[in-house]
Amino acid sequence: MAKSSIIGLVPLVVLVLIWQVAHQSGIYSTALFPSPAEVYAVFVDEFGDLARHAQASIGRVVMGVSVAFVLAVPAGLLIGRFPALDLLFDWSIQIFRSFPVIALIPLAILFFGIGERPAIVLITVAAFWPLLISTIFGVKSVDRTLLKVAKASGASERLVLTDILLPSALPAILTGLRLALGSGWLTVVAAEMMAVKSGLGYLIMYAQVIFRPDLIFSGILIIGGIGLLFDQIVRQARALLCRWQDGLVASS
Amino acid sequence: MSFLNIDHVSKTYGAGAQATLALDTVSIKADLGEFICLLGLSGCGKSTLLQIISGLEEPSTGQVLVGDEPIHGKTHPSASVVFQDHGLFPWMDVTANVAFNLKARGVGRAERTRKALDYIQMVGLSGFEKKYPHQLSGGMRQRVGIARALSTGPKLLLMDEPFGALDAQTRTTMQNELLRLWERLTATVVFVTHGIDEAVMLADRVVVMSPRPGRVRQIFDINLPRPRDPTSPEFMALVREMLVAIHDDMRLLNMP
Ligand SMILES: Nc1ncnc2c1ncn2[C@@H]1O[C@H](COP(=O)(O)OP(=O)(O)O)[C@@H](O)[C@H]1O
Ligand SMILES: [Mg+2]
Repeated sequence: MAKSSIIGLVPLVVLVLIWQVAHQSGIYSTALFPSPAEVYAVFVDEFGDLARHAQASIGRVVMGVSVAFVLAVPAGLLIGRFPALDLLFDWSIQIFRSFPVIALIPLAILFFGIGERPAIVLITVAAFWPLLISTIFGVKSVDRTLLKVAKASGASERLVLTDILLPSALPAILTGLRLALGSGWLTVVAAEMMAVKSGLGYLIMYAQVIFRPDLIFSGILIIGGIGLLFDQIVRQARALLCRWQDGLVASS
Repeated sequence: MSFLNIDHVSKTYGAGAQATLALDTVSIKADLGEFICLLGLSGCGKSTLLQIISGLEEPSTGQVLVGDEPIHGKTHPSASVVFQDHGLFPWMDVTANVAFNLKARGVGRAERTRKALDYIQMVGLSGFEKKYPHQLSGGMRQRVGIARALSTGPKLLLMDEPFGALDAQTRTTMQNELLRLWERLTATVVFVTHGIDEAVMLADRVVVMSPRPGRVRQIFDINLPRPRDPTSPEFMALVREMLVAIHDDMRLLNMP
């Protein structure tokens, strides 16, 4: 982990260097194209503002993804377990999951107005499908022998869900969570550009209006950084919770 | 009345042109405490029969009675199953795996942990209570599977090629261990194998089955005292007799 993150920094450092060179060469107006140092200065001088907007965005994503998790995981367990439910919902899932949530932003604003609610609803919708589909997949790929073990032991349906299907599907569910946080994070930025008056998406739009490209750059960098952070947190959680997979599958 | 009564059991998989007659009117009786081996080539319906006895499959016709109660798509409460690929839960440690069958029967946490530890000791896995299946060898995993099956005090122990995936030396050790455990219990064992040596080593009676369709071909009583010596003339004579019975089937299947 420590080693891989150090190697992962190399291209980023190179990118900053290229950025600096590009800035100095003057191929683009320096008024429109800030230098790394100028953007760094924004981080220092306006830290409070940036943190406040980042916090608003993170709060919405955590909220929306949590709601999606609570809805999608139990639904996925049931659909994966009972073929009749699978048959019933299969087409609907296929249709709705390929819907770009961004296309729903105008509708969300019509229904819920400008504010917290449309943003959280949109994130929930965006996060719901990857979680649902991963959970269903996780349940369906349970080792058949384990279900026979359960049946032969006289285990109740509830025990099968909690002690077999849930742990067996957990790696897939956490993969779904990674995807859900990813699409939730994309959605929050888009939603904030239109439906709310705070958050990093709003900050970027506002910076364009007041002609602050340095602020736009710092907003984009924070968005990328937090996306990376989310991903790392879920990966670590997965490594911790699914240690029993050691030796069954190569760690990713 | 026998403890286990397999009464005219037939099983057809599929329907129409694709139908396979996996078992054809199989009848076997066993007393409480008897060790029965089902022996035969691959495809002669041994697993199918064991699954029907364990209630994991339904017979097409006929029935299985355990202690006079018919089995219908539900495992008899006094039966336990040991699976070939051991069927351990990879996310549970050894203790939780062994305790699972007790948990399924509603035994409380303290009680089932105490019992699980007893059975872990009984199968010789003391010190491995907190290990996970991927940290154990094949033989140790199957010991866990056996401990889990024994933990509920079964009167009927159903085993489908439980040592099939083990190397020869570990298999011999496990056979002796199984006999040692069985002698401490009062349980009927139905043990599926395709190893003639294994059947003669373990069983009171060997049911030799033949394929296409799966039928009982011949039943051998093994009256050799235990522990059995696989190099003794009596042992070899029985192996030879069974080999002849099975060899006829191989000709039937055009195998060399
Ligand atoms: N679930 C199933 N569906 C269809 N055919 C099956 C199924 N299980 C077993 N069979 C068929 O039934 C016959 C007996 O199989 P099985 O009981 O597994 O034999 P054995 O355990 O002796 O190798 C074989 O011809 C096999 O192909
Ligand atoms: Mg078989």
